[in-house]
Amino acid sequence: MDAIDRLRASLDGVLLGKSRQVQLALACLFARGHLLIEDLPGMGKTLLSQALARVLGLSYNRVQFTSDVLPADIIGTSVFDRETGTLKFLEGPLFAQVVLADEINRATPKSQSALLEAMEERQVTVEGQARPLPAPFFVIATQNPVTQAGTFPLPESQLDRFLMRIELGYPDPDAERELLRGGDGRRKLEGLAAEIDLPMLQQIQSAVDAVKVADPLIDYVQRLVAYTRTRGEFAYGLSPRGTLALLQAARAWALLQDRRHVVPEDVQAVLGGVIEHRLRESADFAGHGGAALAQKLLTSVDVV
Amino acid sequence: MATSRPSGIESQIPRNALALLMVAQAAVVAPHAMQLSPWIIVVCFVCGCWRTLVYQGRWAFPSRAVKAALVVCGSVGVVLSSSGGFSLEAFVSLLVLAFGFKLVEMKSRRDAYVVIFMAYFVVAAEFLFDQSLFVAVYEFVAVIIVTAAMVGLNQMRTRVRPMASARLALSLMMQALPLTVVLFLFFPRVMPLWSVPVPGNTPIGLQEEIEPGDLTGLTQSDAVAFRVVFDDGPPPFYRELYWRGVVYNQFENGRWRMAPPQFGADIHLGTAEQGAYEVMLEPTAQNWLYGLAVPTQFDNRARLTRDMRLITEDPVLSVTRYRLSSAPGARFGLALSEAERALETHLPDVDENPRLAAFARDLYRREGDEQRFAQALLEHIRAEPYAYTLKPPALGEGARLDAFWFDTRSGFCAHYASAFVYAMRSVGIPARMVGGYLGGEINPLSDHIVVRQYDAHAWAEVWLEGQGWQRFDPTGAVAPERVEQGLAAALSSQDRLSLSALTNARFGEQGLVGRLLYMFDSVDHNWNMFVVGFDGGVQEQFLSRWLGDLTPARVGLTMLVLGALCLGLTGGILFLRRRPKSRHPAVRLYERFVARAARLGLQRQAGETPGAFVRRAGLNAGVESALIEQLAQQLEAALYDPDAADDSDAVRAGLRRLALRMTFATR
Repeated sequence: MDAIDRLRASLDGVLLGKSRQVQLALACLFARGHLLIEDLPGMGKTLLSQALARVLGLSYNRVQFTSDVLPADIIGTSVFDRETGTLKFLEGPLFAQVVLADEINRATPKSQSALLEAMEERQVTVEGQARPLPAPFFVIATQNPVTQAGTFPLPESQLDRFLMRIELGYPDPDAERELLRGGDGRRKLEGLAAEIDLPMLQQIQSAVDAVKVADPLIDYVQRLVAYTRTRGEFAYGLSPRGTLALLQAARAWALLQDRRHVVPEDVQAVLGGVIEHRLRESADFAGHGGAALAQKLLTSVDVV
Repeated sequence: MATSRPSGIESQIPRNALALLMVAQAAVVAPHAMQLSPWIIVVCFVCGCWRTLVYQGRWAFPSRAVKAALVVCGSVGVVLSSSGGFSLEAFVSLLVLAFGFKLVEMKSRRDAYVVIFMAYFVVAAEFLFDQSLFVAVYEFVAVIIVTAAMVGLNQMRTRVRPMASARLALSLMMQALPLTVVLFLFFPRVMPLWSVPVPGNTPIGLQEEIEPGDLTGLTQSDAVAFRVVFDDGPPPFYRELYWRGVVYNQFENGRWRMAPPQFGADIHLGTAEQGAYEVMLEPTAQNWLYGLAVPTQFDNRARLTRDMRLITEDPVLSVTRYRLSSAPGARFGLALSEAERALETHLPDVDENPRLAAFARDLYRREGDEQRFAQALLEHIRAEPYAYTLKPPALGEGARLDAFWFDTRSGFCAHYASAFVYAMRSVGIPARMVGGYLGGEINPLSDHIVVRQYDAHAWAEVWLEGQGWQRFDPTGAVAPERVEQGLAAALSSQDRLSLSALTNARFGEQGLVGRLLYMFDSVDHNWNMFVVGFDGGVQEQFLSRWLGDLTPARVGLTMLVLGALCLGLTGGILFLRRRPKSRHPAVRLYERFVARAARLGLQRQAGETPGAFVRRAGLNAGVESALIEQLAQQLEAALYDPDAADDSDAVRAGLRRLALRMTFATR
C-alpha cells in the first residue's frame, strides 16, 4: 500500500525516531479508534496529533482543555439569531473529523465528560436534540501523566473509550542529534500536505476489517483475556470492549505490516497500547501498573 | 490455638468463606443431635450466634479466661451427662463440643483449616452410631459442604461463589469415588486395636427378662428387626416363620428370664429338609442371633446352645450379616437330663397363681396324657371368650396369670404363652417360653422378608417323651390370623390405627404409598446387604470367588493395581480436560516440535511466538538462516493465515529436519 507508506514517511519526517509510535497511532486510527497520547510536556504529543490530522486530510479542530473549559465550549451552544428571530445552534469545536483534545486531563471531570457520548456514539445531544458528528470522527487527546500538578485523572469509563494510549518517550541519540542539527518538526509541519483523502481512508479501514484471523490466534487472544480475569494481581479483568479493541488494533497493525492475516507478533505489538490504560493492579489504587501488567501478560501467556 | 497473631489480609478468613464454614459446621453437627445430650447442641448453637455477632462487630472474641472457663465447664458437663463412664457418647460429645468452641476461637486461616479437618472427624463419628443409607447420603452431602468450605478458603477475595465451590467439591468427591470403591472392596477389615465402648447401651428388641405385658412396647414400633433372604426362591409358609431368639426357662416373681447357656445340642435330623438363608440383623446390643428352628449350619461367630439359641461373644452393635441353615422338621433335645428337667419344670416355691395351677391340675387329671392335655388347654382358649388385643387391661399386683386366665381374658402372645407354660409346669411337664419374631412381610421387589419389631412374638415349647421339644403357640388358638397372616390381620381396626406410621401393615400392599414403601425397604435392604453387611467374612467370600486363594500378597497386589488404575484413569481424564486439545493440525505439529525441543534442552518461553521460537532453535542448531526463515514463514502461514495453501507436509518435514539438526547440535 503506497498510501500507507507515504503516510508513514511524512509522519516520520516530522517526528524523528518515533516510527513505532507513529505506526501505533496510524493503526489506532485505521481501526476507527480514538487515540490518547500521554507523556511529559515537551515530548511532541501535540506535534504528532497535528501531523496526523494534516496528513489524513481531514477537517480538524483543536480544543485546549484547561480547568475552566465548560462543556458548552466544546460541544457548542444556541444563540439568538436576530434576523430570523429564532435560536441558532453554533457548533463547537467538536464538530470536526479530527478533534485534538489537548491536555485533556487539565479539564474538570464535568468538561471531560462532554466527550463521553461523542466518542462512543459519534453524536452529541444538545437541548434534547441528537446531532450527528461528521464521519469519520476521531478524538486524539493528549495528556500529562497523572502525577503532574493540576491534572484530573480520566475516569475508567472515559479511558476505556480510547482504543489506544501511547507514550512517546525521549528520542534516541541519533534522533536527538538530528533534532539539534535543526530538524525541528514544528517547522516541517507547515509543509505537510494531505497524503490521502477520505475515500482512501475508508478503503483502508475496510481493508483492516477484512484482515483474516485464524483459530489459533483467537485462542491466544482468549487466553490473554482470561488471564487478566482470573489472576489475583489484576484488580479487574479486560472488558469485552477491550478484547474487541485488541483484536481490531492487531488487524490494523497487520495491515500496516502489509499482511492480510494476523500473527501473534501483531497482538504483542499493540497489546501494551490497547490494554495498559484499561488495567489496574489490585495492590495499586492510583491507577499505575498497567504497563507492568501488560508485560506480565506478554511473558506468561503461551502463544500456542 | 493460634500462637502467633494473625497478620495481614492473607491470613484472615475471607468473610464469605466464613459463612460457608459455619454452614458446614451446622451440617455436620446436626445429625449428632439424635444421640448426644441436647445441651451440647445448644452450646454449639450459642457459639454460632456468638460468632455471628463477632462477625457483625457487636461482640468481641472471648478472652483467655472465658475460654478456659468454657472448656472446663464443658468437660465437666460431658462427664456428668455421660454418667461418669468412658462411653463412646462421652468421647463424641467432647469432640463436638470442642468443634463448637472452635467457632468463637478461630481467627486466622490456619484455625479454619483445623475446623475443616475436625469436621471430617465429626462426620466419621456419626457412622459409629448409625450406618443407615439415609445417614450415608446425608453425610455425603455434608462432606461436599465441608470440602466446599475448604475450597472457599482458597478463593480470590473478590469473587467467592458458594455454588462454584460446591461444584468443585462435588467433582473432587467424584474423582475420589473409584479409589474409595477399590479400598472398600479390598482393604482388609482390621480388628480394632482398642475396643470402642458400646454406644447407647440400650438393648433393642427382645430383652433378657420379660414380663407378660412387656412386648406391647415393641408392637408399637415399626423399626426393622432384621431382613432375610432365602437361597431357594420364595420363603416357606408364613406360619412356619418362627424366628427364635431367646428362650426363657426361669420364672420368678412374675418375670421370665434366661438361664445361663449350656452347650452340646443334640439334633436328630432324620429326613427333615434343610433350607439356607441369610440374615441382616439390625443392631440389638444383645448377644444373640435370630433364626428358624433347629439351626444346622451357622457362622463360626455364633455358638449353638442346648436350647437351640445362637449366641455370640460380643453384643451385636452394627448391622450384622450371617448365613444359616435350618431344618424345621428336625427334632432336638430328645434326652432330658435330670438337671434340665428340674430347670424346665421349676416354679416358684410359693405358688403365685394358685387358681391357674389348680385349673391345670384338674384338667390334666381329666385328660391324663401330656399331648392331650396341651391340646385341651388350646381348646379351652379357643372355646372360652378370650380376646387378642395389644391393649390389654391392667392385671394388678400379684397372681397376674390368674387374673389374666380367669378375669380379664384378653391379652396378646406373651400373656397366652406365659399362662400356657405356667399351666404345663404346674403339672410337672417340662415347658418353656420362647421369644422371637413371627412372620414378616415379603417385599415383592427383591423377594426378601422384612421382620419388624411389631412382629415380636412369644410362644411355648413343651418337652414330650420321644418327640423332644415341640412348639405350641397358644396365640394361634385365640387369633389364628395373627399366626397365619401377620399382626395387622389379627388387630381390630382401632388397634391397627395405633400402629406407627409408614408400614405396609398399615397401608397394604397396593397403592402408591404401599409400593413406595416396598421400594424404600428394598433399597435399604440392598444397602445393608452390600455395603454395611460387607464385613470381613463376606469380603473373604467375595474376594476368594474372584481371586481364588487369598494370600496377602495377592490381595495387596490386586488392590495396588486397581488403585493405580483408578488414579491413572482419573488423572488421565483430568489431564485431557486440563486444556482442550487443539484440533488445528498446524498447532499439533508445532506442539509436538515444542515437546521434542524441550527434551533436547531447548525450552520455549511463555509468550514466545512460533516464528520466534523456530528462529531461535535454528540459530542454536546452526541452521542456515535462509532455510530457517523459510520454515518460520511456512509455519506462521499454516498457523495463522486461513488463506494460505495447505503446506503442512512441508512444515512437518521442516520441523523434523530442524529437530534432527538440534539433536546433532546437542551431541
